[in-house]
Amino acid sequence: MDFQRLIRTLDTFWEQQGCLIVQPYDVEMGAGTFHPATFFGALGPQPWRAAYVQPSRRPADGRYGENPLRMQRYYQYQVILKPTPDDVQSRYLESLRACTLKLDDHDVRFVQDDWESPTLGAWGLGWEVWLDTLEVTQFTYFQQVGGLDLEHISCEITYGLERIAMFIQETEDVYRLAWGPKARYGDLHLAAEREGSTYNFHHADIAFHQQLFASHEREAKRLLDEQLLMPAYEHLLKCSHTFNLLDARGAVSQSDRPRLILRIRALAKRCAELYLERCHENTKAG
Amino acid sequence: MKTPKQAKKIRTELRTDDFLLEIGTEELPAAYLPELIRQLREEGGTAFRDNHLTCAQVESFGTPRRLVLVVRGLAAMQHKPAEKIRGPSQQMAYDAEGQPTKALLGFLRSRSGTLAQTQLEPSDKGSYVYLLIPPRDVPTPAVLPQVVSEIVLSLRSPKTMRWDASGGRFARPIRWLLALYESRPIRCTVGRLASGAATWVDGPLHPRAVPIPSTARYFAVLKTHRIMLDQEERRLWIERAVAHAAQQAGGSLAPEMLSHGLLDEVTFLVERPTVLVGAFDPNHLALPREVLLASMAKYQRVFAVESAQTLLPTFAAVLDGSPKRPAHVRRVIERILNARLADSSAFLKEDRGHLPLERMASGLSGVTFHERLGSMADKTLRLRGLCEPLADAWRLTDEERSQLRRACALAKADLVSTMVKEFPTLQGVIGKYYARDSGELSPVAEAIEEHYLPIGTRLPKTLIGGALSILDKYDTLTGYFGLGIEPTGDQDPFGLRRAAQGIMEVAWTIHRPLPLDQLLRVRGSLAPFLNAPPKTIADVGLRIARYLFERLSTFAWPPPAPAADCIAAVLASPCDDLIDIMDRVVSLQRLSGQDGLLKAAKVVERTHNILKGAPLRQPQVDPSRLREPLERRLWDLYAAHQEEIGRLAQDRSYSEATTRFGDVFFEPIHEFFEHVLVNVPEESLQQNRLALMKAINALYTEQIADLSKLTILHRGETA
Repeated sequence: MDFQRLIRTLDTFWEQQGCLIVQPYDVEMGAGTFHPATFFGALGPQPWRAAYVQPSRRPADGRYGENPLRMQRYYQYQVILKPTPDDVQSRYLESLRACTLKLDDHDVRFVQDDWESPTLGAWGLGWEVWLDTLEVTQFTYFQQVGGLDLEHISCEITYGLERIAMFIQETEDVYRLAWGPKARYGDLHLAAEREGSTYNFHHADIAFHQQLFASHEREAKRLLDEQLLMPAYEHLLKCSHTFNLLDARGAVSQSDRPRLILRIRALAKRCAELYLERCHENTKAG
Repeated sequence: MKTPKQAKKIRTELRTDDFLLEIGTEELPAAYLPELIRQLREEGGTAFRDNHLTCAQVESFGTPRRLVLVVRGLAAMQHKPAEKIRGPSQQMAYDAEGQPTKALLGFLRSRSGTLAQTQLEPSDKGSYVYLLIPPRDVPTPAVLPQVVSEIVLSLRSPKTMRWDASGGRFARPIRWLLALYESRPIRCTVGRLASGAATWVDGPLHPRAVPIPSTARYFAVLKTHRIMLDQEERRLWIERAVAHAAQQAGGSLAPEMLSHGLLDEVTFLVERPTVLVGAFDPNHLALPREVLLASMAKYQRVFAVESAQTLLPTFAAVLDGSPKRPAHVRRVIERILNARLADSSAFLKEDRGHLPLERMASGLSGVTFHERLGSMADKTLRLRGLCEPLADAWRLTDEERSQLRRACALAKADLVSTMVKEFPTLQGVIGKYYARDSGELSPVAEAIEEHYLPIGTRLPKTLIGGALSILDKYDTLTGYFGLGIEPTGDQDPFGLRRAAQGIMEVAWTIHRPLPLDQLLRVRGSLAPFLNAPPKTIADVGLRIARYLFERLSTFAWPPPAPAADCIAAVLASPCDDLIDIMDRVVSLQRLSGQDGLLKAAKVVERTHNILKGAPLRQPQVDPSRLREPLERRLWDLYAAHQEEIGRLAQDRSYSEATTRFGDVFFEPIHEFFEHVLVNVPEESLQQNRLALMKAINALYTEQIADLSKLTILHRGETA
């Protein structure tokens, strides 16, 4: 099963589970959790099920295309289920079988991982799902988002698509993965991965990005004052990505780190509060 | 007719059976399980006792997917003792016509009582209705649902979660409950979940319910499905299996696998263990041992194998269940380990390009220690300044002194390495390897690793490492206290409490002086506050000293731990050296309950009390003005023993000094107070006598401890 079919298979599987299949968000982000379908979807009382692919940027994880398991840009497949079905673990494993993975051939384990996104003020309890000691999925029961206790508990399932594809295709090198019938993953991404790593670690202009961070933060605050939720949230996302880039560039000191994170988190909290306010107004109006 | 009925009743009362409770969960965190299993046993026992249910034995077991309570010989009847429950007041309970009100009827309904069981009893606040319930026997199965719910809700974990609308909290979602008694399922509910009559086997991949008709059958079913329920048995099995695997590979388990907790962790990661052996690229053996171990044990939870203290390119992995293609699983684990180690090898290569370590240290100005306390380069400079007074106090040789200076300069250098960025917990360890690679002396390299200790029970073993560990923590304390940041309550975000505790543990183990005041006088350590008024700086020193003294009461003393009054007595004497203070505390504690200490304490107390009552203006005793033979005798004793006791105190023979002091002065002081009046009207005589009292008192209290603080004195008075 090639990479594009893997995505289609997961779409079909989760569509049958009642998920809305939404599209990737067009702003750089560190993980699928930042997609509004998850960040806002987890808030509020309304039931919500969605699934989507999200390209994820991890500037510090770039390895110039030389490490088969770490990349500065890769694909997550993200599922959010609210409320959480009782048999969610089984459904997840079923989705892997749907992708033609023969689970009986492997050592499958759910290993404690208390997930936390300090920038989003979000945390939950769950596991890394291991296939033969390789983490292929992050499985989390959200408890808080935007620093707010959740009214209803969502389950977030985040698949590492490349790693799962490597198991399915029995390939040891991510860049050798078949993307479609005539193209390999490397054909599409290897050059960009090398250049991206070089850029992130050596060429990203520090002063420019520090300025960017401050500008996006200012813009987000201004837009929040104007009650323009989504535009504000997009600038939060840009802040977060700029922070990650500065971090990879070695331009975030130990003491700067918590303060910068706190600044993003403050924006996330305001976004979450504004969103909930609207939810409750809508409920009243409805 | 009567006799058989009674016999039958007795039989019922004596009948017992086994009770089984299984809490089925999604995978519980390995680190929580030992504590959850312990709580289940203890809270289980408590719940049965509190509910008047007697039993023979309570056991508990756990795997990642189940917590199990087994109660052997549980009585068939709950013997509930008589109860007397206060209800509403008479006024509230009856209306004007003397009829029971809604309040009274509601109360009776909630307690399942009847009007006939009530009586009125007067109290100073008026009469109240009491419900008298006679002792009664309730069949155990009727009580169990409540008990089960109590037990499940009593279990606590460091972090808990909600997973459904019931609002119930647990470490991970509870998915099934099985409760059995007398081979019958007990119907009960916890949150939204109702108990069933089945257990679940075959892991998350093929979850399958198997009906359980009896406790005995339960254990048989688990066995059939290869589930090792008993954690002790499982641990032993895994230990033997991985040891055997290591042996097959021509080596033995690396000892860190047991000492650093991997075996414990893996025991609680699986319920159907199987073992598999694999290998990694031997080229990676060039990596530091700690990096190899971290990659294997910490990230992949596989066991490292060594031969003659050198790691082999082999590992043993513990799986859950038996995968159909073990060779395939092995290849994947190997590939992932190799990729991780290749990453580390690349970091090592990059770091080596930046050696020697001294050159790496020049990058420390870019690493912030604290925004108001400067960079790690600033901290390094401060350590360099602090090391001289400590070296003086410890009387280090020239060689040791230069090693300590060198270690101060290089202590933090590895923080700029890519390896420490990848493995933050290996700070210091990486520095040690890079110091060796840079041709530094072995004591310097060791000290760089050891200065982060204590960690867990590990303490610095070398002199230079111990010194550096203390200096680093002392600098941290000075800095934060100088900024007005001090640990309060449970809050200790900068690890200051741990730093203080660390200083005490290390200093106590190395057992060399720790002159707090001298350390603080180093201008370098105060560099960030040089603009502050002198008083503020002096205050920092006092606050640190006070904070360390406060920690004495929670210090991990060699047993028996000293009592609070013993510590207070020592602290009431002037002393700047923390270790000297600790020595005195231990000596006094050792004398506790002995006659010698009580005598010395009496002498101190009596002189203390008399001095408290009148102002002393005369600094010294004038021997020519000693009039009575009894006071002359005291003075002669003082003159004869002053030096001896002083010397004993100097040599820190505090026990001997104390016993000697008591032996010399106890009787004479007693006699003196019997026959000589101190506060006489003639002032010069009175002042001279007070000065004599002061001299004797100070001989002990100025050098060892103010024993008037001991509580044994006051206990003696009341007895």
